Amino acid sequence: MISTFFGLDALSSSAAMAAAFLIGLAFGFSLEQAGFGSSRRLAGIFYFRDMAVLKVMFTAVLVAMLGLQYASGLGLIKEDQLFFMPSIYGPQIVGGLIFGVGFVMGAWCPGTAAVGVASGRLDALVFLAGAGIGSVFFNELFGILKGLYTWGDRGVRFAWQDLGLSASGFGFLMVAAALFMFWGSEYLEKRRAVGGAYWRSPFLRSFSVVMILLALGLMAMEGRVAGDRPAGLQIRTSAMLAEIESAKDHMEPEELADRLMRGEPGLLAVDIRPAEEYAEFHIRGAVHMSMADLPEFLAGRENQGIIVLYSNGMTHPAQTRDALFRMGFTNVYILTDGLAGFLDRILKPASLRTELLSAEQTARINEWRSYFIGTEKPAQAEPEKPLAVSDPVPPAWPGLVEPAWLAENLGNREVRVIEVRAQAQYNSGHIPGSVCVSHDNFRGVVGGVSSMLQPSDLLAGHMSLMGIKPTDRVVIVPDDKPHDATLVAMALARLGHGRFGILNGGFPRWTLEKRPVTTELPKVEKSQYPVPSPDVFTKTYKEIMEVLKAADHVILDVRPTEYYTGEKVDEARGGHIPGAKSRPYTEDLSKYGKVTLLKPSEQLATAYASLVPNKQTTVIIHCRTGHQASQTFFVMRYLLGYERVLWYDAGWSEWAARSELPVEK
Amino acid sequence: MIMKESMGPKPYMNPYLAGVILGLTLLASYMVLGAGLGASGGIARIAAYLEGGLAPSHVGSSEYFGAWGKEPLHYYLVYMFFGVFAGGLISAFLSRRLKFQVERGLKAPRQFRLVLALAGGVLAGFASRLAQGCTSGQALSGSAMLLSGSLVFLICVFAGGYAAAWFVRRQWHD
Repeated sequence: MISTFFGLDALSSSAAMAAAFLIGLAFGFSLEQAGFGSSRRLAGIFYFRDMAVLKVMFTAVLVAMLGLQYASGLGLIKEDQLFFMPSIYGPQIVGGLIFGVGFVMGAWCPGTAAVGVASGRLDALVFLAGAGIGSVFFNELFGILKGLYTWGDRGVRFAWQDLGLSASGFGFLMVAAALFMFWGSEYLEKRRAVGGAYWRSPFLRSFSVVMILLALGLMAMEGRVAGDRPAGLQIRTSAMLAEIESAKDHMEPEELADRLMRGEPGLLAVDIRPAEEYAEFHIRGAVHMSMADLPEFLAGRENQGIIVLYSNGMTHPAQTRDALFRMGFTNVYILTDGLAGFLDRILKPASLRTELLSAEQTARINEWRSYFIGTEKPAQAEPEKPLAVSDPVPPAWPGLVEPAWLAENLGNREVRVIEVRAQAQYNSGHIPGSVCVSHDNFRGVVGGVSSMLQPSDLLAGHMSLMGIKPTDRVVIVPDDKPHDATLVAMALARLGHGRFGILNGGFPRWTLEKRPVTTELPKVEKSQYPVPSPDVFTKTYKEIMEVLKAADHVILDVRPTEYYTGEKVDEARGGHIPGAKSRPYTEDLSKYGKVTLLKPSEQLATAYASLVPNKQTTVIIHCRTGHQASQTFFVMRYLLGYERVLWYDAGWSEWAARSELPVEK
Repeated sequence: MIMKESMGPKPYMNPYLAGVILGLTLLASYMVLGAGLGASGGIARIAAYLEGGLAPSHVGSSEYFGAWGKEPLHYYLVYMFFGVFAGGLISAFLSRRLKFQVERGLKAPRQFRLVLALAGGVLAGFASRLAQGCTSGQALSGSAMLLSGSLVFLICVFAGGYAAAWFVRRQWHD
């Protein structure tokens, strides 16, 4: 496998400079040998007098193209090692036309002019000076050219992809077209008695045969690897192909509708139609983004959450998804049948549907319509009842803390507030006296598994730095994701901390109730938090295997349902632990505008009573990395009082990766 | 007779063979650098360097050249450009094609040819910044990767060239 300077991000190293100089030597040498140190010879192509430019240039294109495709087909080089220039049609068309005019006027192009100067041509030196002046012009005019400079930016695009061909198939067409031009040029030169030395020569015959054989060999090789796999440069990796084949890159309209209605965090629907169309109508909750701006907009969301692209049809989203996949996004889906399908399958009134509908289906359609159109029953779309202002009831530790109580106790030095919000948001306003920390600070690699809650000595260190003492009452404040706060609660639980709680409704509710905020930094004195012995509720996969043997237990898989069923897989294997029940953590949440709350305890109690026989039953909770599971743990252990709640922190990431462990689908 | 012939310039290489060597050079560039060949980028950076010598604060604050920083010459394409010059020099010397002249048609005035060379250079220099590459970086390197935009650029270069060819033909009249 080859690593390039580009791939190593070392193009500005001295070694790369030296390599570039040596490549330049060979470049200049071959140009001069081809006769491109002569402007007259270069201009010949435009007057059909000397077709050398065409012959040399297209031969070079064919050789490099075949070489690249063979190198990639044989696994010598991966596409991430290569720099692919984007297709920006506006400047490439306008620039190409202007360049062509400059080329025929000056009878040089930048590379050949350097060789021309080396050959003593004064006109080449003048051309180069002109090219420098032209570059300066461009710099001076950049302000007004900016629009054109990026107009029609389609990102990295391949001609074979645009034409719906395979890379090797398109390569073969290129070879055929070039050979046709070569033979045509030789014939033309011969007819005009200005050359054509290779017309029907044994050399050109064998050269043509070799080129065709190389192109055919490439097609055969590609065909052998993956049937009609439409790629040469391993652009579409087998993973992506598999996903496309199994339509796993699709999301059905019904699924998107339900998940949007649930207000699933981390789900992002993106409308990539023109802005006017978006303004006219869009799926509720979807954001608008032009295709060109998508990569920047999505930066940082690689493989975090789920991104669903839609347009009127499926072509643009599919192409965009492919482009994003190459950039490393594996969490992008396209909406099956696009907006048209959504209108037909979700928004079409039950009365207009031809198929027979059960009462349940009709109700579901009405629910969709009221949410996404909002005309029929707007009351259902969002809870009409405004969120009541909290009462200053004293918390039952560990548990939920009402904003009103925290506001009354802000001056108390034993009440400590930890905000688990984005640093930037904390900086622009936070609860007075609070410290800000990311829940991820409490996680790390333990036993080779990533994203594990850190051992108690490290956690104690964090608490010491934040100046927290074992006797303090600690209030954890999430933004709109309670499970960020519950993960910090797990840290405190591991430390055996007695009094901790989560601000009910998080920071959004705090501001909704117009409670005080400040930008002042808190005064924090370092403390000495003692290191306790390991907790008893975190379980390893071996311990889980033991529990599985016992009779009285329930495993709760709190990941989104499609991961439980194995429809979606982000890990080594899909499915769930044999016997596990599915209870997505999002089921425990309700939203009031920007405020995310845990559902009322009575509702939660009923829900869990139907899943777990009694409060003494051993319950094992897991998700993918332990994050979402921490919320269910908090709900069951502290809010509902289940006595034997265990946390499989390593979760599905580990279970799926250990091939000896059983999996059920 | 034999003596005289050996002193004159050697004939050009078989264009297909020269094309193969050029293609292999491009392939080597991809395998080693991870990027293709380029020439106009080097020229533009040398221009930015020279302009920076005259008006440092202006260049430093300009949006396009300014982005190249204080050392615009510290870039692989600049080194490649010097390599092209050196490689051309070696080849021209070995093939006895080094000759100081203004190449033009016998009937074409020297000035006319030089004005066209300058104007052509300005257009080509400008256009290659706009399109982010010239015959080397876009037409040759991009086409070998089968990039849509580069192939479009290649077609447009020839379209522009053939469209303007008739108007500047006099520089080659003998």
